[in-house]
Amino acid sequence: MPYVANTAEDQRAMLDSIGVKNIEELFASIPAELRLKRPLDIPPALSEMELTAHMAALAKKDAPAGEKICFLGAGSYDHFIPAVVDYVASRGEFYTSYTPYQPEASQGNLQVFFEYQTLITQLTGMDVSNASLYDGGSAAAEAVLMAISATGRHSRVVTAASVHPEYRQILATYLANLGIELVTVETPDGVISPETLAKVVNDQTACVLIQQPNFFGCLEPVEAIGKIAHEAGALFAVSVDPISLGLLKRPGDYGADIVVAEGQSLGSPMSFGGPYLGILACREQFVRRMPGRIAGETVDRRGKRCFVLTLQTREQHIRREKATSNICTNQGLFALRAAVYLAALGPQGLRETAELCLRRSHYAAEKLATDNGFERVFAAPTFKEFVVRAKGGDVEDMLVRASEAGYLAGIPLCMWYEDLADCFLVTVTERRTPEEIDGLVGCLNQVAAIHA
Amino acid sequence: MRNTRATQLLFELSKSGRRGVRLPAADVPEVPLADLLPTDALASAPPPLPELTEPELVRHFTNLSTQNMSVDTHFYPLGSCTMKHNPKRNERLANLPGIIDLHPYQPADTLQGLLELLWNLQEMLAEIAGLPAVSLQPAAGAQGEMAALLCAAAHFRKLGQQRTKVLAPDSAHGTNPASAKMAGFDTVTVKSTPAGYVDMADLESKLDLQTAVFMITNPNTLGMFDRQIAEIAKKVHEVGGLIYLDGANMNAILGIARPGDFGADMMHFNPHKTFSGPHGGGGPGAGPISVSKVLEPYLPVPVVVRDENGFHLEYDRPESIGRVRSFFGNVGVLVRAYCYIRTHGPDGLKRVSENAVLNANYLLSKVKHIFPVPQGDRCMHEFVASGAKLKNDRGVSAMDVAKRLLDYGYHAPTVYFPPIVREAMMIEPTETESKETLDAFAQTLFRISEEPADLLQEAPHTTSISRPDEVQAARQPIVAWSPKV
Repeated sequence: MPYVANTAEDQRAMLDSIGVKNIEELFASIPAELRLKRPLDIPPALSEMELTAHMAALAKKDAPAGEKICFLGAGSYDHFIPAVVDYVASRGEFYTSYTPYQPEASQGNLQVFFEYQTLITQLTGMDVSNASLYDGGSAAAEAVLMAISATGRHSRVVTAASVHPEYRQILATYLANLGIELVTVETPDGVISPETLAKVVNDQTACVLIQQPNFFGCLEPVEAIGKIAHEAGALFAVSVDPISLGLLKRPGDYGADIVVAEGQSLGSPMSFGGPYLGILACREQFVRRMPGRIAGETVDRRGKRCFVLTLQTREQHIRREKATSNICTNQGLFALRAAVYLAALGPQGLRETAELCLRRSHYAAEKLATDNGFERVFAAPTFKEFVVRAKGGDVEDMLVRASEAGYLAGIPLCMWYEDLADCFLVTVTERRTPEEIDGLVGCLNQVAAIHA
Repeated sequence: MRNTRATQLLFELSKSGRRGVRLPAADVPEVPLADLLPTDALASAPPPLPELTEPELVRHFTNLSTQNMSVDTHFYPLGSCTMKHNPKRNERLANLPGIIDLHPYQPADTLQGLLELLWNLQEMLAEIAGLPAVSLQPAAGAQGEMAALLCAAAHFRKLGQQRTKVLAPDSAHGTNPASAKMAGFDTVTVKSTPAGYVDMADLESKLDLQTAVFMITNPNTLGMFDRQIAEIAKKVHEVGGLIYLDGANMNAILGIARPGDFGADMMHFNPHKTFSGPHGGGGPGAGPISVSKVLEPYLPVPVVVRDENGFHLEYDRPESIGRVRSFFGNVGVLVRAYCYIRTHGPDGLKRVSENAVLNANYLLSKVKHIFPVPQGDRCMHEFVASGAKLKNDRGVSAMDVAKRLLDYGYHAPTVYFPPIVREAMMIEPTETESKETLDAFAQTLFRISEEPADLLQEAPHTTSISRPDEVQAARQPIVAWSPKV
């Protein structure tokens, strides 16, 4: 029992103080017939040394980024994490604390949340941000629920096939029992056609949810889309790649009402998909409809500036079924990571990171497309991801061979898009060097030659 | 000792031209930006983020950290939150590159170690729950509640039954009714008896063929095991409803009783509580769910399965509710839970619960003379003391006591929850605290109970701030910094 301090002597003294003979008596309220009458059937205890060896053996069966060169993306990215992020997040005072119910004992966390919220408003150009949600996907669903309540329109939500398929799946799950129609416009050209969109957005539409850059890495015609949404009285919700905002116009600058993002890119490891960071920001008029924790500035009884959780009457612990959401935690530690990351990069660092992604991914796309085996699928401009068609077919087999050669070369799209069954999505972050890109291209050309 | 300069806001510390990170050159042929992206998509300038150097950042955040109480630094008896020690080996092991630097869409053959771990965790949670089918996907307990309720809704839809109601006791966590609403149900509140148990007559009067689910926390939010549970399950099942067990209080019954054995059809775990995942200042947690065989087809996808070729993710489950979050789930939290369970084994987990319950009962025996515990002399892993007498006699509230505890170096208990106890102070010591800590805490509570009312009403006195004006914060919300004009 490595973490329990009670000795046999302590236990005896404690039982005497309670007035019972043994620990068993403390469980008298659980009827005998409801008890488990055997030990749990789980593996026996391991010492720290044994556990360490066991975990090392498991980890050895995996091929982490670094061992295989990672060109995978689609919402989870191998961006560089400065050491200062890990250092700060490993402070026990941060990671072993909890939700700041007692502001006097939590000014560290509360100020971090306030700084995080401010950084997110600076990044997105929106007025207000909450203190974070679980991940980009559920944040997108929460944004839609927020739009439904803000507009009072309970019949239709419009999104596009160019939004991350898993985000759309989450949205469909969240809406499944609420009687709201989810309309998904097809995007055969890799981006939304404003004409197609305009046909399905009507005066009953609560919101139009898009992604910028979209799932295929392409830039959507955001201003035209926003106009269509607003002319119908719908809210315009955008899921963004935070790194792209080092270069691209901010959603607040092109009329978005609600912005969500997967914040993993901002200083958190890929960690097989989680924990991540759900970013949600909006215009000021919707602040009381936001889900999740929000930190606010105030003064204490001596007039000193300080921070508290605020607007709590939106939340489940007070409003119960009338709350804006059932969420009761934020992702405090990952909001902290994002805050340190953004402050460490600053405007220039973020811009340079975005530019590196852009330049190197375009270099990769061009090199790949010059080979006969591959072609770019969409003409729309891209940021750090792009879709490639393997003319020789069998994408999955090619990707397996590339993986055997040391490259996680891309994500096959067959799982989500029937018409893109011979395509894969390639992602180039700032971490991928020109040498690695050349290596990838060489490797893919070789495997394509096998298929030719 | 306090460095107030370093803890100014990042934006106040910022100075144009400073930076904390430098990046390499692109080293690819130089192309004008306008050739790569349309100019109307480009921002005229990067976002106006603050500009600081690494040393400034380190000093800023390190000093901010010292303004938190945490489990590493203080006794943190925050009821319902199970603030136990966060084992350091779990931090080290969860950060192994072969565990943490994995992309969610890597091919399964490059993930066999992690998938094996996650598969085994599914099996172990199923065994601990006594419910055979597990989804590790939900990101938090509240999301687990919603996911399981959506499974229940899919189940009733398949049966062709229109069940619109979810019942939950008035002592339930607020997430229960909020999750039910998000899953498309109407919520109905069931009364509790003064002792905190489900009022059976009230439950029976509200059960009907529209009842989909009864959500119950057992041990409940008063820290009591409701021994009517088998009878409750029987009544709910008789009308065709299901039992949801809110697993927030599993720390009391590991290896002692299993929800599946006492009538639950579905439940969530809070690995960040029960299985020692650090709370991270509010998160991340995780909310894996365990359900009965009947509900298995509806679980979110993917799940980890094992076959002759090893482990892989199974997506093809036509009756699945879909997804509640992206990718696999909060894997980092799940890995820590795995490490925790493997460290303890079957006997160790049972000892965890025994000592959690022993510590809570011991503390109750010391506290009840100071602050009455309406539920009686026994509890499970936590108890709810009432400050009503102190409030009546001297005008000192539970919040005043909570604030004063901070001065003595203790985090406060959860106050004013559950609402069925007046001036509630919900105290959960956990098994990782020593007898000496509990003795000292009880003595401090006694000392506080004797202190002058005005001293308590103005507490805390030793923290960097005291009694923030929350009304002003909500009335005129300032939720982001802006430059002074």
